[in-house]
Amino acid sequence: MDRQLNTFQRIYKNPYLQFLIVGVLFALLPTLRAAGMVKAGTVTVIGTTLIYTIAALGLNILLGYSGLISLGTAGFMGLAAYCSAYFTEQLALPFWQSLILALLIPTVLGVIVGLLSMRFVGIYLGIATLAVGEILSEIFRQWDAFTRGTSGARAKYPKIFGMQLDQTGMYYLIVIITIIVFILVYQLLKGRLGRALNAMRGSEAAAMAMGISVYKYRLIAFGAATLLASLAGVLYVHYIRISYPTIWGLPLSLDFLAIIVIGGLRSIYGTLVGSFVIFAMSELVLKQIPYMENYSLVLKGVLIIIFILFYPYGLAHVVSDLRMRLGRRKTKVHPLAAKEEDIDG
Amino acid sequence: MSEFFGIILRSLEYGSIYALASLSIILVFRTSFTTNFAQGMIAMFSTYFVATLIHKSGLPLGVAFVLGLIFALLLGFLIDIIVIRRAAKLSPVGKQIITLGVLSIILGLTPNIFGVYDLNMPKFIPQGDMKIAGTSISYNALLNIGLGLLVMLTLYYVLHRTKAGLAIRTTAENAPVARLMGVSTKLVTMFAWGVAGCLSLLAGMMASPFSQVSTTFMNDIQITAFLACLLGGFTTFFGAVAGSYIIAIASNLLQVYLPQGTVWGKPILYILLIGFLFLKPFGLFGKRYVKKV
Repeated sequence: MDRQLNTFQRIYKNPYLQFLIVGVLFALLPTLRAAGMVKAGTVTVIGTTLIYTIAALGLNILLGYSGLISLGTAGFMGLAAYCSAYFTEQLALPFWQSLILALLIPTVLGVIVGLLSMRFVGIYLGIATLAVGEILSEIFRQWDAFTRGTSGARAKYPKIFGMQLDQTGMYYLIVIITIIVFILVYQLLKGRLGRALNAMRGSEAAAMAMGISVYKYRLIAFGAATLLASLAGVLYVHYIRISYPTIWGLPLSLDFLAIIVIGGLRSIYGTLVGSFVIFAMSELVLKQIPYMENYSLVLKGVLIIIFILFYPYGLAHVVSDLRMRLGRRKTKVHPLAAKEEDIDG
Repeated sequence: MSEFFGIILRSLEYGSIYALASLSIILVFRTSFTTNFAQGMIAMFSTYFVATLIHKSGLPLGVAFVLGLIFALLLGFLIDIIVIRRAAKLSPVGKQIITLGVLSIILGLTPNIFGVYDLNMPKFIPQGDMKIAGTSISYNALLNIGLGLLVMLTLYYVLHRTKAGLAIRTTAENAPVARLMGVSTKLVTMFAWGVAGCLSLLAGMMASPFSQVSTTFMNDIQITAFLACLLGGFTTFFGAVAGSYIIAIASNLLQVYLPQGTVWGKPILYILLIGFLFLKPFGLFGKRYVKKV
């Protein structure tokens, strides 16, 4: 890449600026709603979708980079949500203290669950983490003192820097945190951590021979995934302001998996796009189609299947796929084709 | 002692349900090489079909059940032909998400076809029970236990003593080589999905009198079946069956003998299972996955 970029290209190819522009676009939404161009519900749907994007990004680090699967994401997200609700409501802790605790507790647990990856591979790890998720979701259902059982744990909009947030303020907070997470994840995975995880996915033996502590990095990957899931859980409970045990089950964990497979492994924008396909699409698009309101789930299923059959490497690669089909690239083999085989589910 | 015996008998009934569900998962896993997350939904869908035939069309249970089996077989064929066959070249995680798409479609169709109300499912034998060694058990439970065993013995016979079974086993062992040897792996996979659908329906029919036929009534059974497959090792049909009965018995024992067992029995069972599998990560009967450098 010796080609000199002109000023304009240098700006729009700068990933950090791109993230900021995406953030500004999302931040415009409440203004558009005030102008009457967007429905009030749309903002909430998109806010929730961004929250799910954060959790899915964590899973993408785990599955995309280190090749380890987890079906317990929703359980950890729920644990953080309940922790935050419990600390701010029942123990009346300030938001910051509660936030730190609500991030720390599930992350420590997540690292412990990461120990499972020392012994389990592929689908065995998937089902083992599924069992962990089920344990957590059973605890949410049964431990009334902590979770308020089926009546749901309530939480309030948080107060940060002496400012009481309202619904719109919370939406801005979500956008800001999402962009910070994007930048941090991009930065981390570009560096040593990303290289180590990539090497591990390629060949553990080779990675070990290069002096990478496979176990350490596996635990780091699990920790990062749980930390992001916890962050999403805290944001969720303070945005929606109620948490029911039924939310945090296997279906949500599977949705996270679907997000990153549809969007594209190891792609931040792919995760964002996948999240919109899974969570926002049926609310914002499919339910608006006349005569098809009752069939939004069916359409969603059909679209999932079509996306995966036609874009097996994720929607993030639509552009490069199109370019390849149009013949600008000489190679017939998809550049990602070889890499994907290492991940077994 | 008679209480203990009663628990074991009851566990055998649950075990049959789990075993049928986990066999259907393993059949698909071994022939299509994907974990079928839609298994519970497929069971739910065809059980709804049977329940609707009984309530709306007034058919007797037996006739409705036979029609249901045909329905489940065709549903399995359809899923394989339309979706799974095309997904053969995808990565394993991609295939799992494909079954998630199938799940979403079925879940979306159910209220539109069968209505939004939960339906009652009559038992195969509506009433009557008998005493065995001081504990009473309903004829229906005995029938369920027997049916479960019968299905498993039949499957064992088909797998190990017939040509069709040989085709399934070779496909499971190594699909490309099986194709070279003249096995129509496409046909095998299609029938595996069909038979898995029938087994799922049978599991659904046995489980539904305990609750009601609703869109979620098979979810817990599916999760237990996954764990049973894991305990059995995910590679052998026998392992999944053994895992199912072990989980059923352990779960019932914990619920009865543990203080507050009905509340905390399930999480404790799962923790015990994970602990055990940590020591034996490929299950009781699983083959060790050898990693070549």
